[in-house]
Amino acid sequence: MAQSIETHTPSGAREQMLSLFGKPWSGVAMLGIFYLILIAVFSVLSPYFLTLRNMLNIGGNVAYIGLMAAAGTPLIIAGGLDLSVAAIAGLTGVVISMLYGMGFPIWIGVLLAIVVAAAIGVVNGLFTTRLRLNPLIVTLGMMSIISGIALVLTGGLTRPLMVPGFNWVGSGRVIGIPIPFIIMMVTFVGLWIVMTKMRFGRYIYAAGGNAEASRLIGIPLEKTVITLYVISAISGAIAGTILGAMLGAAGPTAAGSQLLTVIAAIILGGTSLNGGRGSVWGTLLAVLILGTLNNGLTLLNVSSFWQDVTRGVVLMLAVSLDQIRTRALGE
Amino acid sequence: MATTAPRLGMHGIGKSFGRVPVLTDVDLTVDPGEVVALLGSNGAGKSTLMKILTGLYNRDGGTIQVDGEAVDFKDPAAAVASGVKLLPQEISVMPDMTVAENIFLGDMPLKRKFGIKQVDKDAMRIRSRELLDQLGFANILPDMLVKRLSVAEQRIVEIARALAGKARILVMDEPTAALTEQEAKMIFKIIRRLKENKVSVIYISHYLSEVFEISDRIVVLRDGRNAGTFITADTKRAEVLAAMLGNTVDDLYDVGTPGVAGAEILNVEKLTIPRKLEDVAFSLHQNEILGIFGLVGSGVEVLGRALYGALGPLKTAEVRLGGQSYRPMSARNGKLAGIGFVAAERKKEGIIADLTVRENIALPFEERFERGLFMSQAEEAQHAIRWIGELGIRTRGPEQKIRTLSGGNQQKVCIARWLVEGVKLLILEEPTRGVDVGARREIYGKLRELANRGYAVLILSSDVEEVAGISDRSLVLDRGRIVGHFERGAKPAELMAATGNDPAFQAP
Repeated sequence: MAQSIETHTPSGAREQMLSLFGKPWSGVAMLGIFYLILIAVFSVLSPYFLTLRNMLNIGGNVAYIGLMAAAGTPLIIAGGLDLSVAAIAGLTGVVISMLYGMGFPIWIGVLLAIVVAAAIGVVNGLFTTRLRLNPLIVTLGMMSIISGIALVLTGGLTRPLMVPGFNWVGSGRVIGIPIPFIIMMVTFVGLWIVMTKMRFGRYIYAAGGNAEASRLIGIPLEKTVITLYVISAISGAIAGTILGAMLGAAGPTAAGSQLLTVIAAIILGGTSLNGGRGSVWGTLLAVLILGTLNNGLTLLNVSSFWQDVTRGVVLMLAVSLDQIRTRALGE
Repeated sequence: MATTAPRLGMHGIGKSFGRVPVLTDVDLTVDPGEVVALLGSNGAGKSTLMKILTGLYNRDGGTIQVDGEAVDFKDPAAAVASGVKLLPQEISVMPDMTVAENIFLGDMPLKRKFGIKQVDKDAMRIRSRELLDQLGFANILPDMLVKRLSVAEQRIVEIARALAGKARILVMDEPTAALTEQEAKMIFKIIRRLKENKVSVIYISHYLSEVFEISDRIVVLRDGRNAGTFITADTKRAEVLAAMLGNTVDDLYDVGTPGVAGAEILNVEKLTIPRKLEDVAFSLHQNEILGIFGLVGSGVEVLGRALYGALGPLKTAEVRLGGQSYRPMSARNGKLAGIGFVAAERKKEGIIADLTVRENIALPFEERFERGLFMSQAEEAQHAIRWIGELGIRTRGPEQKIRTLSGGNQQKVCIARWLVEGVKLLILEEPTRGVDVGARREIYGKLRELANRGYAVLILSSDVEEVAGISDRSLVLDRGRIVGHFERGAKPAELMAATGNDPAFQAP
């Protein structure tokens, strides 16, 4: 091995590097390596870090974010974008707690919240496909509307949400694994199957890769994109349910601050904002990396303000690397 | 002419892309105040020659002189500085700026006020007024926003901009493409004014009638070489056409024997789309290749996609497909009715660049490769491999990304998509645009093969040689109407001549 490298001219070695760099899976592989390095560094710095308990904690804590990022990935691949997803999570907690307060069974509230979310997804989808509005603007507007409604409904207050069976969804464990983490992983695997093994997945990549060509081939573009908006919105509702169950409380703005983490994870995971390219596994790794970063820095007693800075730096680094990689792949 | 140097002298210009020669030993001279029309069919080398003149391309050989002085433009800015200006086919104005700002874009007059350099709006207005008056357009005001002007008036602003930059040689590429006849007359009026001011014009157009109306001299290119120079006043249209198209039959189209036309697959009547198509009617049979030729703006760009359904529901058309009444509704509907459609702009409307050859081929009919809930990648691959073989697609395999294929091979993938059970009609727009000669011949061969297998093939193209060469029957579209019917063996020149039937433009 060593010999074969020596016999290469410098330019040959460089080309080899570039071609390695340019492999389709290299983005996810790079993230994996980065994840391992991160774990190694924190393990050295903190004795509490590399314990099964802590690792499972990270998994449980990022689950509701990962869920939204998972559903957002195919949407962005198809050329869409959903900024309203975290606001939907906030509204969900509010709806559940209000209905419960009115005497409805808690699961009726969950079900209704999911239905409401699906309706919001349909509206997002219709506005962006039928009216051809920019998804950034549509879902930004939707985000504002939904978080506004959540604030109106609660008067801005956080409502308690202590129902034993319900809270178990947020804090329970099955053979030691946090339930939110299980829900997230099931979502990732399910989306992976849909995106790579099913017809709908072909349409997702085609729609984002070249919408006009897809339309001319007769692919049901609108249906595909609207469905993805609905999936994204429902992921927001489930994330809101998990968060409410975890916290034992429903705050109208509980999840809002995580919107940026969701989008950051998708981009960090190698999904192109221009559509057509990406995978859920990249997103999963990115979610774990961001969660690990938060966890590790907290264990090291770094102020949470610095954690925002770190997250931004990691995101920009990763996106720059990806850009270099894309260029290596060749236009 | 004897003593003074010509305004422009290009001599022995050569250029190749890779190993493909595009221009060989081409000469072009233009005198001061002369209008020279540059003619040639698609791929003859006109635009390459003009790109060399305006500094967009480097030449491989030859000399360029402006007013007797040797020049060597390294970039478009250098050409503009020497007074050589290109007006591209697409109008390039800033719609939200005023007429005056557009005219002085890139070189606004400055003044110093309070020690700060700023745009001298008054000077700009006054000089714009002068320029527009000089061109004879007192009705265009310097303070108007350009987006409020008509397309023709925007053209005029563009020309004024070239003049403000002291253009001595103006290259106009299809300046009347988007204009009505009256508006085209307006452009001619300006060109005559330019002549009076000793500005030289190189005029590129497909419309022979325009060329005969406005030019002093006609220079024809064919296959990257000079194919004739004519004094317009002493020349007949047929001579120019012969020079453009040549009289030799190209073996490019000698790709197999046509079959016997079978049952009628497509029958179109009373197809009208306001401002685009007017009462178009034709029919197409099994085993037959029908070519429809039209220049840019003739309706050739819309006819195919309108029938496919990509332009939405057609209100006024009676179409029968395979003997049954068919109403174009949507692309999806057209596909399900048994139409395959290959769009003109391969990159924009054809391939999905990041997907593999296999995925690109399987995409329109994915449901046929579904086994239960899941896609059978093996069956997709099998299908792709079959058509990679049958169409001779050069690729490392079905898993290669389509964007790494050459244009010709991408085009074959776009055709392969539709070769499934149930598709009976193939509609292809500009089937060989941006495809090299070798691949063109192959594509023609495959189209013939497909026709012989029983497909009805409809080709819409602005390449007259292609339509004349490959079609069993051909039609000519002009300004939305069918103006000519030809049988197999018609000469390209006959088809081209059919487009110039407008009495207002009747040439000598």
